[in-house]
Amino acid sequence: MTRARLSRRATALGAAVLATAVLSTACGTSTGAGASSAATSAGSSAGSSAGGAAGSSAGAASSAAAGSGSRVTVTITDAQGCAVSPDTVPAGQVTFDLRNVDATGVTELELVAAQRILGERENLTPGFDSTFSVRVDGGAYQIYCPGAATERVPFTVTGKAAESTGDIAELLQQAAVEYAGYVDDQVSFLQVPVRQLADAVKAGDLAAARAAYARARPFYERIEPVAESFPDLDPAIDLRVGDVEAGTEWTGFHPIEQALFVKKTTKGLGPLADKLVADVKKLQTLTGQLSTATKADDGKGYAPFEIANGASGLLEEVLKSKITGEEEAYSRIDLLDFEANVEGSQQAFATLEPALNRIDPTLVPQITQRFQALTTVLDTYRDPKALGGWTPYQDLSSADKKKLTDALLAVQEPLSAIAGKITA
Amino acid sequence: MTGAHGPGTSAATPDPARRGTSRRRFLGGAAIGAAGLAAGAAAGVGLASAEAAPPVTAGQLAAQREAQTVPFYGTRQAGITTPQQERLMFAALDVTSTDVQDVQRLLGRWAALAARFTAGRPVSDSPGNPDAPPFDTGEAMDSGPYSLTITVGFGASLFDDRFGLADRRPAALAPLGTIPGDAVMKPAITGGDLCIQACADDPQVVFHAIRNMVRAARGTAVLRWSQLGFGRASATGAGQTTPRNLFGFRDGTNNIHADDTGGLDQHVWVSGSDQRWMDDGSYLVARKIRMEIESWDTDDLADQQRIFGRRKDTGAPLTGGTEFTPIDFHRTGADGVPVIDPHSHVRLASPEANGGVRLLRRGYNYTDGQDPDTGKLAAGLFFLSYQRDPHAQFKVLQTRLGKSDLMNEYIAHIGGGVWACPPGVRQAGDWFGRSLFD
Repeated sequence: MTRARLSRRATALGAAVLATAVLSTACGTSTGAGASSAATSAGSSAGSSAGGAAGSSAGAASSAAAGSGSRVTVTITDAQGCAVSPDTVPAGQVTFDLRNVDATGVTELELVAAQRILGERENLTPGFDSTFSVRVDGGAYQIYCPGAATERVPFTVTGKAAESTGDIAELLQQAAVEYAGYVDDQVSFLQVPVRQLADAVKAGDLAAARAAYARARPFYERIEPVAESFPDLDPAIDLRVGDVEAGTEWTGFHPIEQALFVKKTTKGLGPLADKLVADVKKLQTLTGQLSTATKADDGKGYAPFEIANGASGLLEEVLKSKITGEEEAYSRIDLLDFEANVEGSQQAFATLEPALNRIDPTLVPQITQRFQALTTVLDTYRDPKALGGWTPYQDLSSADKKKLTDALLAVQEPLSAIAGKITA
Repeated sequence: MTGAHGPGTSAATPDPARRGTSRRRFLGGAAIGAAGLAAGAAAGVGLASAEAAPPVTAGQLAAQREAQTVPFYGTRQAGITTPQQERLMFAALDVTSTDVQDVQRLLGRWAALAARFTAGRPVSDSPGNPDAPPFDTGEAMDSGPYSLTITVGFGASLFDDRFGLADRRPAALAPLGTIPGDAVMKPAITGGDLCIQACADDPQVVFHAIRNMVRAARGTAVLRWSQLGFGRASATGAGQTTPRNLFGFRDGTNNIHADDTGGLDQHVWVSGSDQRWMDDGSYLVARKIRMEIESWDTDDLADQQRIFGRRKDTGAPLTGGTEFTPIDFHRTGADGVPVIDPHSHVRLASPEANGGVRLLRRGYNYTDGQDPDTGKLAAGLFFLSYQRDPHAQFKVLQTRLGKSDLMNEYIAHIGGGVWACPPGVRQAGDWFGRSLFD
């Protein structure tokens, strides 16, 4: 990754800012808005309402209110922007029926309190209806339709919700702790094959060294954005030859890879391998500190939005250097790295799922399904006989690469938007 | 290169004298490339008549050209008879979702985007959230619409069993089968469930449109192939000059022009179709035609002119006159040999030789730079044509041309496709092909 999304500086700073925002939302007296979504059908009736009259469901609102909470109609027009009816409901389950009549520039709608998104619906399209449903506590809210003639409309919830089902800020803190655990695991697993790699090169065992190299790579690739947040360490571990500055020594995985797979020798690799052992050890120390800070919730650990950016950043990594076959130019185990990046992304995303489910329950299944579609394509290239367990990259055709790219882009687009949902 | 090259004898052909006058008027007044556009705008797009406008500076003209809009909403899609803009980006997509609602929403989102882009507006007026990717990619941020049009079409493959549309496929969209000369068509740059044709007088504007529409499709459809056209190779607006193709010839002199409503109704716009949803639509046949540039450059002038049937310098037929002089196909030389070769492009493509068949051409010259395999220039014509029925029009013409056109020695059809372009999007809230899904 050229762009260190999870940079350490950003971690400390960002987390502090975020923590403030989280606290003001969770404990703020003025809004005090907590929300959680119950089942959201997100059904859409395509094509039933182009340019047609809106607000026909107003009658349904009162009857629905008696049964399963309140119903609110939001009509979005080019001329008026967002119109909400009714604009006051009692605490509890609220279902929003959205109708984009003709607002071409409005694609999403959010229910916001104190700069936090409590519920949302994306992909609003003129001529189509959508719906989403959230459980809300009493307080002052806004309906936010970015790009509309009237963007923000006040929305009031009276009383207290009948039941409280947790809080997004808490879920995000849990996510950070979970992610810290995941990183700790990967970095500790990384130590073993790197030591085996050092042993094998010193013993002059080329086959064992190659195997250890392939075993080590995925642990690093899964948490690459975290490693890249240490600006001295990542270049020492993972620089490719073309990126080495003149006058700087080329160290880390890739000069070893070049010797093992191109020069086909272990000769002279001892010092390089020892340095790699020391560097991944250093990585373990640093990530351990991040992990401790995260658990202490002291603002110096992983911030949830960084985890979201890391998830997306890992896919950028794949697009930039794996799909192009540049990462493992000598060993050709690019697909192993590819899969590791994807897995790291999926794991980061998974920690955020409980919080995201509160905000937009349609989002998690969508992204999950697209991750599955991606891994299904990826799985067709498994090759147990090949080093690393994947088809060597030079054997992929352009059509193969296009298939992988298409599946990857389908995940990346919605995934890139989640950081904004948990911070704003 | 296929197409309505015929001589100007049919009633539908624009009057050469009037065209000449109009060209002179605008060249005299403007002296820059915007002349054709201004003429087209006055004639076809419903903007203030250029005749009434006072003399303007080059800077003002450039600003006018940038601000020029073509209405998006209407009974018929723009980008077909619209006076042809200078730049093209074309995209063919495959739908990856199996949910017909995803397809409908995508066509709705595309309609919304097209309405905004053609008005020079971004995806959203909202600056968006600093922690999220921007709504709009931004590269057209300070740019006017430059007469942008966005035209969407449906490929035959959309009507398979995935979306329940099998019984809504018009007969005219049935596969064309093999046409002579199609031997080297590459599947990777042929066909696609959906297509988007973006035309404007600025390359960044067309790229921005396609990029954002492809982005909006992620998860529902993927880009199958795309093509940039760097310069127009046809004239569709009354009074537009006939541009030259990369062989250096004026091509498509006798195209159907925007003011020829009779010709358009007869040859271009669908009416009374077996599938009523296509009424007021049109069928697009695209062909990526590679030119053997290097070989052509070694061919002598006389042979080049024999192949086309026209003079290279003036565009006049070899039987004499000016560009718009009717061609005398019957004239023979002193040796008794026809002046216009029986296998010349102009003769084989003429309505006379094809039972009156014509189509509207809207092609662009393209280059993909250098062919990395051969080192040759990768360039040619991205042929776009609109018609009522590809079987009765394109196929008839191309069958004839593919068999015996002298030009075949220097060209190869390497990609393309056929798409049904539905009627226009009537207003906000309507979408591309909505009647197809009713």
